[in-house]
Amino acid sequence: MDNVNQDIANAPLPTRRTLKTRQSLAYQLLRFALFNVRMLRMVGKGHE
Amino acid sequence: MARIVILGAGISGHTAALHLKRQLKNEHEVVVVSPNADWNWIPSNIWVGVGKMTTSQVTFALAPIYRRKRIDFRQAKAVTIWPEGDETNPMGAVEIVYTDAKRQGQTELLRYDFLINATGPKLNFEATPGLGPDHNSWSVCTAEHAAKTSEAFAEIVAALRRGEKKTLVVGMGHGSCTCEGAAFEYAFNVEHELRQAGVRDKAEVVDLSNEYELGDFGVDGMKFSQNGYLTNSKIWTESLFRERNVKAILGAHVERVDPDTVHYEQLDGSKGSINYDFAMLLPPFRGVGLKAFDRSGQDITEEVFAPNGFLRVDADYSAKPYEDWSAADWPKTYQSPLYDNLFGIGIAFAPPHPISRPRTSVNGTVISPAPPRTGMPSGVMGRVVAENIAHRLRTSSTTGPKTASMATMGAACIASAGANLRTGSAAAMTMFPIVPDYQKYPLTGRDTKSTTGEIGRSGHWTKLLLHYLFIYKARALPGWYLIPE
Repeated sequence: MDNVNQDIANAPLPTRRTLKTRQSLAYQLLRFALFNVRMLRMVGKGHE
Repeated sequence: MARIVILGAGISGHTAALHLKRQLKNEHEVVVVSPNADWNWIPSNIWVGVGKMTTSQVTFALAPIYRRKRIDFRQAKAVTIWPEGDETNPMGAVEIVYTDAKRQGQTELLRYDFLINATGPKLNFEATPGLGPDHNSWSVCTAEHAAKTSEAFAEIVAALRRGEKKTLVVGMGHGSCTCEGAAFEYAFNVEHELRQAGVRDKAEVVDLSNEYELGDFGVDGMKFSQNGYLTNSKIWTESLFRERNVKAILGAHVERVDPDTVHYEQLDGSKGSINYDFAMLLPPFRGVGLKAFDRSGQDITEEVFAPNGFLRVDADYSAKPYEDWSAADWPKTYQSPLYDNLFGIGIAFAPPHPISRPRTSVNGTVISPAPPRTGMPSGVMGRVVAENIAHRLRTSSTTGPKTASMATMGAACIASAGANLRTGSAAAMTMFPIVPDYQKYPLTGRDTKSTTGEIGRSGHWTKLLLHYLFIYKARALPGWYLIPE
């Protein structure tokens, strides 16, 4: 079953910009805040 | 005064105990029975396993917490339950065997008005010959296992630094395992640490999984809305594998682990093997092996528990094909259908079926992830069962008002891909609901606004934040109950 490693080899790679944003302090601080808000909203939704 | 006995002090059982005590104060008795002296924040065992944390950073002693909260703590393991009582007394009872140094091996019969089975899994290493830290492979299932694994990993890094080439295999040690996310995390933390050590080029990192495709995670995969398109977790995960040069062997059931070779069967029936220098393979889970007897002493274990040893609860256990699975199959109150004062929560309840499509090899071998019951839903189950019991005690009703089905609950899964505030990252996912509901969400089974995935440094910060928050909560420090499960 080596189709999986073929699929991996053909998978899209992140762009340079994406790689930069993954490590950008300012952008990641924003993503941190948004993710945690999303998580809290989802927790609240599930607790209803 | 009623007595509520909770078997197990993991995320689910400990959460139930704290909420019960908070709700009931000293009106009723809360007893926790656990064979372990310590509480463990299991999600961070991954970091212990690569040497980024120590066991003392992921565990703490339970006895002082319970003493402070006036919860009766018995360091013991439960072996037998009599849900109908016995010939001398109709009150339900559980036989426990002490595991602390003072009373090691002594047995006691605890009567109860309510029993919550939160025993978690038996780590069934025996299911695969050669599997496990007592044999040929490592584990991160407990803090102690993870600490030993980190020592073995450190030796591998030292060898790589000497110029040797090594193969590291991480994944599932059996075709029916769960916790694919944990194995993914460990694989990518290993990969990250190898890069940080400057030896990545000498190491081959292989993820060996029972998933049919990458991104399944035991939840049948996810669909994300990204940049105006619906993409799936398969492509998303494959991309990370490509980016970090991690290989994969999928649809695999490990048959045997020799000292240097893992032997496996795949879905097409083919047999394969991979030589390794370091292997971390998770075991399959089953129930801890509780027995149950009725009042006359007749064995009713098979009626109370499913064949896998997990407690039957208010789920639909009728055999049905994948296409007929429904969100309604999943339990809501975690109450035994036979005894309304018996509950099973966390990993201890018997799921009605997997979440991922079940598959067997052409030889009939089950190669299919079991459904994950992760920290978030386990904590919610603990809280909801506690609140329902408290409600019943206050109102003398026979049912509680709250439910906690995994088909109406979401989860956040932060799969660490490297532990470092500056260079680390995580694949941070949310899914709502955990169990897909195709009636409510016909296109993907889940709410695409709440089912998301992103990779970045902030994921690591979130996982680290949750580490501190949940340890604070579990220590029952001021305001602990304000931290949602």
